[in-house]
Amino acid sequence: MEKQEQVEKNRKVVEKNRDYRIIRYTPWLVHFNTGACNGCDIEVLAALTPLYDPERFGVKLAPSIRHGDILVVTGAVTKKAAERLKILYEQMPEPKFVIAVGACACSGGVFHKSYSVLAGADKVVPVDIYIPGCPPRPEAILDGIVKLLKKLEEE
Amino acid sequence: MSYKDVLNKLVGEGLLTPSGEVKPHRLIYVFESGKIRELFTKLIDLAGVEGFYVSTIVGTDLMKDGKIRLDYYVVFLPQEETIVFRTFLPRENPEIDSLLDIIPGVLSGECETYDLLGVVFKGNPALKRGFFVPKDVYEKGIYPLRKDAKV
Amino acid sequence: MAITKIIEIPYSLEIPVGPQHPALHEPLLLKVYADGEEVVKVEVYTGYNHRGIEKLAERNSFYRDIFIVGRVCGICNTVHANCYVRALEQILGIEPNNRAKYLRVLAMELERIHSHMLINAVMAEIIGFESLFMNIMLDRERIMKAKEILTGNRVLADYMMVGGVRRDINDEKKNKLLKLLNKTEERVKYYKQVFMEDDTILKRLVDVGIITKTDVLKYSLIGPPARASGVKIDARASDKYDAYDEVPFNVVVKKEGDSWARMILRWDEALESINMCKYILENLPSDGNPVPDEKRLPRRFPPGEAFTRVEAPRGELTYYVMSDGKPMPYRVKIRTPSFNNIINTANVYLGHSIADVPVILVSWDPCISCMERITVLDLTTGERKRMHLKELARGGRKWVSPRYSI
Repeated sequence: MEKQEQVEKNRKVVEKNRDYRIIRYTPWLVHFNTGACNGCDIEVLAALTPLYDPERFGVKLAPSIRHGDILVVTGAVTKKAAERLKILYEQMPEPKFVIAVGACACSGGVFHKSYSVLAGADKVVPVDIYIPGCPPRPEAILDGIVKLLKKLEEE
Repeated sequence: MSYKDVLNKLVGEGLLTPSGEVKPHRLIYVFESGKIRELFTKLIDLAGVEGFYVSTIVGTDLMKDGKIRLDYYVVFLPQEETIVFRTFLPRENPEIDSLLDIIPGVLSGECETYDLLGVVFKGNPALKRGFFVPKDVYEKGIYPLRKDAKV
Repeated sequence: MAITKIIEIPYSLEIPVGPQHPALHEPLLLKVYADGEEVVKVEVYTGYNHRGIEKLAERNSFYRDIFIVGRVCGICNTVHANCYVRALEQILGIEPNNRAKYLRVLAMELERIHSHMLINAVMAEIIGFESLFMNIMLDRERIMKAKEILTGNRVLADYMMVGGVRRDINDEKKNKLLKLLNKTEERVKYYKQVFMEDDTILKRLVDVGIITKTDVLKYSLIGPPARASGVKIDARASDKYDAYDEVPFNVVVKKEGDSWARMILRWDEALESINMCKYILENLPSDGNPVPDEKRLPRRFPPGEAFTRVEAPRGELTYYVMSDGKPMPYRVKIRTPSFNNIINTANVYLGHSIADVPVILVSWDPCISCMERITVLDLTTGERKRMHLKELARGGRKWVSPRYSI
């Protein structure tokens, strides 16, 4: 009887955590800085350190663009960097997704009126998830990635 | 020689004219733009190569006066005192000699001032448009920092 | 000497540029020409990060510019805001009270500690020491927490305002900060010992990228690369702005001038900063509210010009602000330290092997966030290969593990 109860309890815990166990899909991130102040970049870097533990979701930094699944864009897209962003996006194999991290990548941030900036990453590549913040906390970045993965699981 | 003696000597020779200060307490010396190489060669002779470094080059567009003002901020060691050497160039055709061969550290400042304001440093082989400014701006021949630039 | 390889290394570079773009973290392109394994020529190409900040600063009011200027560089945003705010205070002729000055110095020193830990972690990663990278990043999170307790945000503090700071601290926060600092001090001492004794680090860093004292001054290098070659320049000790005339500290200078001296100097400076922070927290003056009244600040500024310098973690940062009597500035010029350190040092790489190029690059402390892929063009066979910067640092060998296969 006790054993049965224990099994029930374990099953409930497993059910509750099922949202966080992404077994089939372990995305590899590629990170690209299109003219940022580096605030978002160090938060993306911090999101990959042991304190926030992204590997429980299977999230890792990909070694090359040909292995990447998710493109993480930071920075207000400057005109010179926009061409490279486009080339980088086309080099990624399907299926591919784009996450815009930070206020600058979402809509230009404080730089949206400058002559040298195309305000926002969605003017160059199609964006799936926007993560606002200046800069967003590492927990917010991981939350955005998990939301993207849950959306993919449902499809 | 200490920096005060160097500056007094150059004022005495007529190369520099003291004219006020930039807050806080940075003395300004005005010189003629044609004599810039003579001035810096004498600075190296009197203060020594290890006696100073060129910290910043600031260009300002004074559209109302028809001039472009160029400031060289020089830090004298070991007291770390900042002195401003100021000169004025005509706005229509701003040209000045480059200091690249005697002080290689001015490379970044000169390239930037050329790309953004249009001041030509004669003798600097690394000047080019598009060093910082994006293509569609420099193709129209616009210098973004000028007051009448439409960007 | 026949050139057999051209290597293009894009790396992120903090280039403070005047008029239009203050502190761009630009992915900078370094074209390295190599003969076999030895570097023969290096060219610098820039332009990816120009954001037009100086022009933007002329179109916004003085007070809005405090926020724009803070976003020139995320890693050293408090020093940018501090330098700009002090230039405004010089033009206006006002001075903050002592408590505000001490709090400003506390925020800037915390930033110095986290920036130095970050660049040392990146250096460890570049030479292959990944577990050290992860450990330093873990300990750095304590300093980010301390920044959050003091200023309200981890990275972009937005803590400075004309006349003082935005928030005050109470005793409870002070005790928390002291506990965090004490724990960090033990870890920093341990990491400095690792950097001084570990064989891998010593072999990769000692005698790589040596600069002499004369070269430092001729090329206008500033900050840790200058101090590691024997030149004693530090804007904190010479200008004595804010509370630096009352808080005791030493200017760390080394003689060797190679990459190893530059990294050890940063650990020494981090220890000095921890001592300064502890001194500030224990001797905080209580002569009034450090937060000024916003409604009393003038909207129009009197005409004048000011030039302020500050010691950012990477070197000397200068701001020039000119006002002509209107509510918007006439000219704002920002010259960040990486501008001098990176563009003017294209000749230090000559004579070294290719694997040393990333090591020398990281020892100037460029902005780390965009260590992108590099392209190696082998001129003899004509093939183009793309490699990660880390692989170049490890000699370009292909690793067996699938993580690094191309």
